[in-house]
Amino acid sequence: MENIATSASHLRSEDVNVWFGERHVLKNVSLNFPGNQVTALIGPSGCGKSTFLRTLNRMHELIPSAGFAGRVLLDDKDIYGAEVDPVDVRLNIGMVFQKPNPFPTMSIRENVLSGLKLTGRRGYIAEEVVETSLRRASIWNEVKDRLNDPALSLSGGQQQRLCIARSLAMNPEVLLMDEPCSALDPGSTRRIEETITELSDSMTIVIVTHNMQQAQRVSHQTAFFLSEEGNPGRVVEFGKTDDVFNNPVDPRTNDYVNGHFG
Amino acid sequence: MSELDLSALPRPKSQPWQVRNPKNTWLITAASVLPMVLAVIITLGAALDPTVATILVFLPLQIIASVSVGQYIYGKKGRGDALLVIFTIFFSTLVGVLLVSVMFSVVVNGIRAMSPQFISQNNVYISPTTSLGYGGVGHAVLGTVLIVGLTTLFTIPLGILIAVYLTETRGRMRSTVRTLVQAMSGLPSVVSGLFIFALLISPNFGNATGFTQQAGWVGSIALFPLMLPTVARIAEEALRLVPQELRNGAYALGAPAFKAFWQVTLPAARSGLITAALLGVARIIGETAPLILTTAPANNTNLNVFEGSIATLPTYLYSYISQAQATSQQRAWGAALVILILVFVLFSLARVLGSAKSTKAKKRK
Repeated sequence: MENIATSASHLRSEDVNVWFGERHVLKNVSLNFPGNQVTALIGPSGCGKSTFLRTLNRMHELIPSAGFAGRVLLDDKDIYGAEVDPVDVRLNIGMVFQKPNPFPTMSIRENVLSGLKLTGRRGYIAEEVVETSLRRASIWNEVKDRLNDPALSLSGGQQQRLCIARSLAMNPEVLLMDEPCSALDPGSTRRIEETITELSDSMTIVIVTHNMQQAQRVSHQTAFFLSEEGNPGRVVEFGKTDDVFNNPVDPRTNDYVNGHFG
Repeated sequence: MSELDLSALPRPKSQPWQVRNPKNTWLITAASVLPMVLAVIITLGAALDPTVATILVFLPLQIIASVSVGQYIYGKKGRGDALLVIFTIFFSTLVGVLLVSVMFSVVVNGIRAMSPQFISQNNVYISPTTSLGYGGVGHAVLGTVLIVGLTTLFTIPLGILIAVYLTETRGRMRSTVRTLVQAMSGLPSVVSGLFIFALLISPNFGNATGFTQQAGWVGSIALFPLMLPTVARIAEEALRLVPQELRNGAYALGAPAFKAFWQVTLPAARSGLITAALLGVARIIGETAPLILTTAPANNTNLNVFEGSIATLPTYLYSYISQAQATSQQRAWGAALVILILVFVLFSLARVLGSAKSTKAKKRK
């Protein structure tokens, strides 16, 4: 486990604004994601939290009608700077999607190593990377005897943990997770939550979730997104998870976390 | 609470949705058999032509029988249901019969000419009166393989490139290109042949010598506009079927666009792309008109596609079927059978190639 970074980077967004076509969907989002902290993004569907997450590693701009203004700083360096290659940004800021998306033509082993291959780092390809990554994603014991099986032979929960392992093989400083458990059963969800807690020792994690209990279980701080009456989405409340859930400043946060709307 | 029985049970003989009233079973059986029996009796009695009788006697009888039984058992919606079922079965049978009869006549007529020597020998020293024991289409098979192979060599990459442009990029010309490709697929093959003929062989349609003589490679170029739209359109569909999540997965790992395409999208679309290549080949392998205009017929084996006259299966077939002698016509049928076999071999090959990846992945290490 020697080549794993132990001090994670610090991510910050400053006045992030997002448009789809002419529609303004996210307004002035300024959030701070300190190293080794897990931040949960919560809010009703359509409030822009997944969109915001995708601006953090420049996946957002892959949507043809996307628009963006603002700054996202990774260790005080703007990832939207003119000289920055989005491909390099995504090397340092990994992402796990809502639906497990292992590469169907590859085996389990090849999936874990796919990032290294895809980025031309064949020199880093080694058996330890496979084992280390799979162990960190808590799936090693389930797959160690069948590393050459197709990735699609795994169950949905295992596929999602394989996708996490695939991201971890790149040793990112920040990991973004877009509702990683929404398609999974409670058992798989619990294992992924344990994984998140362990990973936060070595990296910064931002997770979008619709599950209030999950946000409380895994996150250190929480941001509540809301978009009212067709206005662009924005952050209503941001603070320590305990405070947001038990002692919210804004009454709308209170209503949402207690299930009164949304 | 008594002890739970956790063991598996055998599947019941009949499923709830398969249970039918016995009276209805009799009615349905009668409706399926009686019209046919009645139609056969009427046809034989009145000495009608079987084809005419099928449409004018059997079909109406079957419709009446099925619709009344449908009405009786299921009420109003049973009528429409019965009609749809009758038409579906009738027309799919019709298409099936047509397909089989085409194959049947080719095989029956072609098999007489068929022999190992017919496939391996060429046509030198063969006159219209020579018996079928001599000569064959070997030279034409090689010519077809060479010309179609050459076309495939530059059409497949180009067609896939077009598909990649249409699906993987945000180029501004996409809709224009797509329209052009679609328009191209409507190009009559004889026009393509004529265009290449006029462009490369005889610019003035007179005695003026053009850029080149008739040759295999000119034929390849004339086949190109026919193959390209097929390949491009099917390849586009294949690439479009690859889920966006896979590309996103690759991008999120920090993959450059080209590597994401090369290592993730392309392998995922593999079998679809092989189908595209194959249907492209199938589209042109029997093309005759462009080759008549752009290649010169030959009786000898010519392996040089860049010079000289060269025979192909379709042009061989065309020249022999228009001759009067029975042996000549049998040679033409034989050539038709060889084309069918060639297409069949190609399709089988592609099926094997298309599924090879998954088995290989399992075997490794």
